[in-house]
Amino acid sequence: MRTAIYWLSRIWRSDALSAFGLASLLLLIFLGIFGPLLPLGDPTQIAAGPRLGPPTPQHPFGTDELGRSFLPRVVQGIRATFLLSAIAVLISAMIGTFLGMAAGYFGRAVDIMVARGADILFAFPALLVGLLVAAVLGPGQVSAIAVIAIATLPLLIRVVRSVTLSVAGRGFVTAAEVAGASAGRILLLHILPNVMGAVMVQLTYALSIGMIIESALSFLGLGVQPPDASLGSLLRQGSAYLTIAPWMAMSSGAVLSLAIMSVNLVGDAVRDALEPLKGRDLT
Amino acid sequence: MSPLAEIRDLVISYRTGSGGLRALDGTDLILTPGETVAVVGESGSGKSTLGMAIGRLLPGEAHCEGGTLSVAGTDVLNADADTLRALRRDKLGFVFQNPMSALDPTMRVGKQVARAMGGKPGQKEIEALLTRAELSEPGRVLRAFPHELSGGMAQRVVIAMAIARQPALLIADEPTASLDASIREKIMATLNRLRDETGATLVVLSHDLRLIARHSDRVAVMYGGRVVEDGAVETVLDAPAHPYTAALLSAAAGSEKPGERLDPIPGMPPSLSGRCEACAFAPRCTFAREQCRTERPEPRVIAKRRVICHFAEDALAAPGAERRA
Amino acid sequence: MRLLLYLLPRVAAALITLLGVSVLVFLALRMIPGGYADILLGPFVTPEAREAISQRYGLDQPMIVQYWRWLVSLLQGDFGISMVTQKPVIHEFIRRAPVTLELAFIALGLALAVGLPLGVASGIRRGGRKGLDAARVVGAIGASVPDFVVGSVLIFIFSVWSLWFRVGGYVPFTDDPVGNLQTMLLPGLTLSLFGIALVLRTTRDAVLRVMTEGYITAAVARGETPRAIIRLHILRNAAIPVVTVVTTYFGFLLGGAVVVEVLFSIPGFGLFTFNGLLNRDYAIVQAGVLLAAGVFVAINMTADFLYAVIDPRVGS
Repeated sequence: MRTAIYWLSRIWRSDALSAFGLASLLLLIFLGIFGPLLPLGDPTQIAAGPRLGPPTPQHPFGTDELGRSFLPRVVQGIRATFLLSAIAVLISAMIGTFLGMAAGYFGRAVDIMVARGADILFAFPALLVGLLVAAVLGPGQVSAIAVIAIATLPLLIRVVRSVTLSVAGRGFVTAAEVAGASAGRILLLHILPNVMGAVMVQLTYALSIGMIIESALSFLGLGVQPPDASLGSLLRQGSAYLTIAPWMAMSSGAVLSLAIMSVNLVGDAVRDALEPLKGRDLT
Repeated sequence: MSPLAEIRDLVISYRTGSGGLRALDGTDLILTPGETVAVVGESGSGKSTLGMAIGRLLPGEAHCEGGTLSVAGTDVLNADADTLRALRRDKLGFVFQNPMSALDPTMRVGKQVARAMGGKPGQKEIEALLTRAELSEPGRVLRAFPHELSGGMAQRVVIAMAIARQPALLIADEPTASLDASIREKIMATLNRLRDETGATLVVLSHDLRLIARHSDRVAVMYGGRVVEDGAVETVLDAPAHPYTAALLSAAAGSEKPGERLDPIPGMPPSLSGRCEACAFAPRCTFAREQCRTERPEPRVIAKRRVICHFAEDALAAPGAERRA
Repeated sequence: MRLLLYLLPRVAAALITLLGVSVLVFLALRMIPGGYADILLGPFVTPEAREAISQRYGLDQPMIVQYWRWLVSLLQGDFGISMVTQKPVIHEFIRRAPVTLELAFIALGLALAVGLPLGVASGIRRGGRKGLDAARVVGAIGASVPDFVVGSVLIFIFSVWSLWFRVGGYVPFTDDPVGNLQTMLLPGLTLSLFGIALVLRTTRDAVLRVMTEGYITAAVARGETPRAIIRLHILRNAAIPVVTVVTTYFGFLLGGAVVVEVLFSIPGFGLFTFNGLLNRDYAIVQAGVLLAAGVFVAINMTADFLYAVIDPRVGS
């Protein structure tokens, strides 16, 4: 908890762009969690307003082809987009941390297999994996989670592996080995804490990649299915009426972009703080 | 003789996350042409900051809070970019601690040396320069990439580049610290030979008092961002007037690894956030008294050297203070 | 010799990666509901045709034999027959290759033309100090706004005010060069925005990293001009990470930009594969995924070769 507050205040103070990212991320997370409790309107109520009505004070994002208010739909979408991506990225983080640590610590055959496996997964463009998974599992949320996990796994494996390699050679690990600690104990007590920093930074990037993949799949109709909504599926819905009711596509697209950007900005700020690059003037 | 470089009461701080870190806290040093000066101190004493400040090479977060610094008639602290560049190019030569990182890994050695010489030198001239830095196979070296050289060879390349334009002042920051112990003496000998040939002033920054004392005319001991004792090598080493110099001498066995603190002196070197209003060495000093902790000592000339210590006379007279280098 | 010793293991690793890719695709295809014969031929298949497929791929044999036969037929260039057109899918992909290639080159060209100079300028200007420069804002936006959002905005703008560009209705370059560019520049621009941000951010970070190196301080200490330091030392050393990222990006572009091709109705690999999925024409999906991964691996091998050219330390 203390470290969380420390990081929040540090990002907040670092510069205007990072502070903007943090503020909008916190706002979006708040909307995602408490959105249904806020007096924004019912996302499922049909004919709450006119069909394809433009933005009004009552319906700030306009209404869709069924007369549903679009703002509560977008808030619903924020929740789905963050939640699906977060679940997928956490799965990927757990598997990736385990495999990466094992590869970096045990080396030899384990390392070769894990590293090669990461290369193999990395060779698939995420959306084509999406098509393949949709063929196998059918479109839906489970497919989206699987695709995001597959796409972000190699990134996490690579980072964790390289950090583990550098940590495993240090004195305290050698000391623990000499003292007869088991491999599991060393990985858990000595290596895992040192890997966490790198994992956290990579997690924010993985989360933004996950949100892009989720929304792209939903946009193509392969992710979240109606009546559920994610920001991508709302944009898909809106793009059908792009020329006559542009507010649907524009509002969901803007919120989606803001969501991804806020995650990226916070990730950048954390990375800059962990690994400051101090260059020099050329004069 | 008129001085080549004059540093007076120089104060330099680094901006850090929490306030500032004062690296130089009123440093004085005057260099005359043709001498070899050893600037000695632990890591954190401010000697590297001093060396880089002479060429105004400090990174952006360092800033000068006071004092003056002039080299060969140029006011370094206030010079414009072109003047500064001309000074660096024509008057100064730098040799860095790690020769491997001072050379661009993607460029052949010959081209880098040619850049340092300026103009379009022919292969003969480049080879001649490398030979002066005692590289035995200059033809092979100039075709090589830096990673294909040994540390000692790379340092000789860096030295050759530093003397390429006959600098008036050669600054070597721990020039042997990253090298094998067996070639440290040879590199120092090369540096001194080149100083004799070119008539340059040589400033060697090092933590290794015994090694560089053998190759120097003068020694300036730094502590807490100030030059605490400054005099001819024989004068200072025969009878140190600052307790820190004395402690360094008894500690120096010549076998420390680069960057390692001189452990036999108990305690840590100070890290200042502002002007030190006491003697910076007081917490580690066996001679320290009340005055040392409350009053900032000012430079005095005692027994043919400049020293910053309230009780230098006592340190000089103390038993065991007299020893041979 | 140095190059050869460095490249041989990399070629071997690439082949192993390709083999792994094929195993994963094979397993995934066998997991699709319905038998492999249905997948390849569709539900309206005569018993004779089904028998022929079964014979050819050894569907009554153990999995390992099936995999081997499948792999052999892939290596012979047989990626299956399209259920819809009843033609070998590989021909359909070859026919669409110029479209995807053109789109990839437009996007890559824009990404490099904008991203490299901005990245170098931003990296050098920052010089270790943190500031709010335009390049950071462009980088943050480009890396965050998904291509289908950019594309939707562009389509909206250009279909409401039909400026010079056209949305949809691809024309081959050889038939009508101007018409081709009218339809291809917008999707190319859409694709390039992410690439611009990627190249910009990578270049900026690489330049910043190089600026911390001792040889930059050494060059300043020698009195080199900023221009000479940038040209001689910074650009070449910063190029190494940029090459990695640019080749990865290009590899993904060549694999088919599914979303953008769908959005702008550009008949390249991505749209073809996507339609294959919608029509349950799985032979096309199979070929699309295999080709994309294969191209990606090949491009990355090219990157390995480029490193060795740029960085003399590589391989020694």
